[in-house]
Amino acid sequence: MSTTEKDIASAVDAGGQHDHHEIPWIRKYVFATDHKMIAKQFMFVSLFFLVVGGALAGMMRFQLGFPGQPMPGAGILPDAMMAPTPDGAIMLPEFYNSLVTMHGTIMIFFAIMPLLVGLFGNLLIPLQIGAEDMAFPRLNMASFWLAVPAGMLMLASFAVEGGAAGAGWTSYAPLSTSGEWTGVYLGQQLWLVSLTILGFSSLVGAVNYITTVINMRAPGMTWFRIPLATWSLFVTAVLVLLAIPILAGALIMLLFDQTIGTGFFRSDVGGEPLLWQHLFWFFGHPEVYILILPAMGITSEVLSNRARKPIFGYHSMVLALISIGFLGWIVWGHHMFQSGMNPLLGTSFMISTMAIAVPSAIKTFNWLGTLWKADIHLDVPMLHALSFVSMFIIGGLSGIFMASTPVDIYIHDTYFIVAHLHYVLFGGSLFAIFAGITYWFPKMFGRMMNEPLGKVHFVLTFIFYNLVFFPMHNLGLQGMMRRIYDFTQYDFLQPLQPMNQFITLFAFALITTQVLFVINFFWSISKGEKAGNNPWHSNTLEWTVPSPPPHGNFAQMPTVFRGPYEYSSPESDDDFLPQTTPPRDGPGPSSGVPEPTPTPEGAEA
Amino acid sequence: MTTITADRAPMAGMKVYHLKLGMWVFLLSEVMFFTGLIGAYVILRFAHPDAFGEPGVVLNVPLTAFNTFVLICSSVTMVKAFAAIEQNDQQGLQKWLLATILLGAFFVGVQAWEYTLLTTEGFVPMAESYHAIARGAAEGSEVIGGPLYGATFYTMTGFHGAHVSIGVFCLCFTLWRARKGAYTAGNLGGVEIMGLYWHFVDLVWILLFTIVYLI
Amino acid sequence: METGEEHKSPPYMTVFVVLAALTVAEVLFALLFTGLPKFWMAVGLIFMAVWKAVLVAMYYMHLRFEPKRLWILVASPIPLAIILVVVVIQEIF
Repeated sequence: MSTTEKDIASAVDAGGQHDHHEIPWIRKYVFATDHKMIAKQFMFVSLFFLVVGGALAGMMRFQLGFPGQPMPGAGILPDAMMAPTPDGAIMLPEFYNSLVTMHGTIMIFFAIMPLLVGLFGNLLIPLQIGAEDMAFPRLNMASFWLAVPAGMLMLASFAVEGGAAGAGWTSYAPLSTSGEWTGVYLGQQLWLVSLTILGFSSLVGAVNYITTVINMRAPGMTWFRIPLATWSLFVTAVLVLLAIPILAGALIMLLFDQTIGTGFFRSDVGGEPLLWQHLFWFFGHPEVYILILPAMGITSEVLSNRARKPIFGYHSMVLALISIGFLGWIVWGHHMFQSGMNPLLGTSFMISTMAIAVPSAIKTFNWLGTLWKADIHLDVPMLHALSFVSMFIIGGLSGIFMASTPVDIYIHDTYFIVAHLHYVLFGGSLFAIFAGITYWFPKMFGRMMNEPLGKVHFVLTFIFYNLVFFPMHNLGLQGMMRRIYDFTQYDFLQPLQPMNQFITLFAFALITTQVLFVINFFWSISKGEKAGNNPWHSNTLEWTVPSPPPHGNFAQMPTVFRGPYEYSSPESDDDFLPQTTPPRDGPGPSSGVPEPTPTPEGAEA
Repeated sequence: MTTITADRAPMAGMKVYHLKLGMWVFLLSEVMFFTGLIGAYVILRFAHPDAFGEPGVVLNVPLTAFNTFVLICSSVTMVKAFAAIEQNDQQGLQKWLLATILLGAFFVGVQAWEYTLLTTEGFVPMAESYHAIARGAAEGSEVIGGPLYGATFYTMTGFHGAHVSIGVFCLCFTLWRARKGAYTAGNLGGVEIMGLYWHFVDLVWILLFTIVYLI
Repeated sequence: METGEEHKSPPYMTVFVVLAALTVAEVLFALLFTGLPKFWMAVGLIFMAVWKAVLVAMYYMHLRFEPKRLWILVASPIPLAIILVVVVIQEIF
């Protein structure tokens, strides 16, 4: 059999008569190659890191709310982190720097990215395009098992002498090039090695996703019938593919600077610190789109389904995703407006940054258009999706301030930026993750999550989250800088102390509220209401198979007749019309399925 | 053998089978990786031209030119290996794969030898030699090695050499599988993607040789 | 494998000869034309190097005979690479 035929044949072989020898436990749950199991593996590990990241934030907030006060229960932490005093353990400034660095690093690389790309990419792509699995299932397994040691190295760095990395998640040179200035030696190197390994994990994942979406779509699944969740993951995968290697190169060069004495970024031996910034942000800006595009895709799915209305402007949604993917490569300088760059260059970055707001705005208006006069079901996924839209608008609007270079020179590295990034990453990405987990939970586990508990979790999270992060806009405008251990050392910032305390108290409340989600999650896995194939009455292909789907997903290769958003369609008696339901009058010329060409049995196709 | 029956649509996408498409996609990421490294070299050289040596002063151009030729030959042998299996010529496949392995290993060997020559001359990637020579250097004398020139040189060529070494290792694996009869004219994906990787490594060297040794 | 096989075997040996010739040409150009301003030297050498690279991609990597869509995919990192290097040189220079 030729290689091409083998690919088709294995797809044909798909779910049906899989000669199914029992898979040993270790191959099914540990070294799994089934994309659905790998998705769950990513989910559990990432949720763990989300909790770790939250704990680190809690400690930071304690210091900011109660500067120099002994932290309750911190006596168990080593002297390198907390200075022991007769009243209790007080946080050391060096440890605060590590907290800031590791909170950002862990949340971005080990929580949000693997949740959006690892969980939803793996879970949704093959199911939504009608494939039996990813193009390279063993490579998929490698992707997960590369991420695990990366995570372990990152956590281990807390335990080494000098502690965990402390130069910020952006690790700017020359601060990061030597432990002389941060006090961190091995920790900084472990950070670099960990991220390089994780980068490789993401990279092989991207190769898999791109190949799968291009090559393994079921008959009739044309590009413009692919659901937006998969589209967004495809564009994201292209960004990962092309941006991560730049980061890898920069990390390696920085590692050499730290260990063998090279001078890429070290001004003391004639290198260029600014080169680090350019390389990092050339990766870093596409990275933030990696962190938001899948969230947008998830939101589109949930909004359309729970509003029982087609997504408004599907084609423009796709084009907006692609435009964001393109434009995202030429805006990186807006993270560096204060670096002293040529004003002409700064202006061009300002213009491109403002331009990229346009496709995002198009998407936002399309979501609003989807909701207009819709039959809205305000259940938990919808609540989270709605708050994605509103919080993303706030985050996006604050982004316009930053896009304007003169304004950014004032607010750069202040809490205004912290507010912005948390509005898009928490208010945006994390709410979308909650929406996605709740929405696809039945597909993963065959049971629904608990609705009332989910609503309580949502309402409390939403309220506390806004009380924590909205005031930060104000703090930033008043001059409170980022990453600062003790802002009260500045007289002009001392009046901000009560607001910081306010934020801290609600941050504790916010973190505590997440316990409700954890309880709901684990309780529902075994005790949740049993779900059928399609509890949300959705159109996309994953809802045509059992919950959870069997190995191989589809008993027969599905055929797709229409786009994914035919809700409340006149062609259907129901308020939804699945992609695979044959049209009433049989597959016509408009169905998109190619005319069958008679082929003699046994001949090469 | 499964026939594609009338009601199955042809394969979606680019009509490029999975392994080949996957390898091309992977190679795109490699392009970006070498862009980062070579880009850093170009940028640092523009910023600090005096820290870098003129072509031929430190680096052995004739030796490396010969090595470039060796690598190009290995691309030819690789392509002949692929052409062989396209004709189901198992002996030819194994013969040309072996030739590619030997040429590739030879390339790495020459590069390793070049490294030893350079390092014993004092061309190293770190600051010591730079300072030593800069401190004791006479006016207008050449600066050898150092944290910029040495660093970029060894990083770029080192990672390229690592890619060649990995390629040689994978070629050995491919040869082993070929000896077990894993490849036929209808099932040559493994050989083809090995070839793609190998040619890519050659392509990078073509650019690297020019930029680093000749300019 | 059906894709693009209905063609004569590509001119591998011809390409090899051209590659070898270009390599020699590059080295001779670099060694002999030392009087040329650095900029034009670089332009000439890069031109030859890119020519070689394109030959390898087109014939040895078979791109010439692949679907045109693959060409677009393969070309995609090139503008990014150019943007990165050109912008940063302006900046740091």
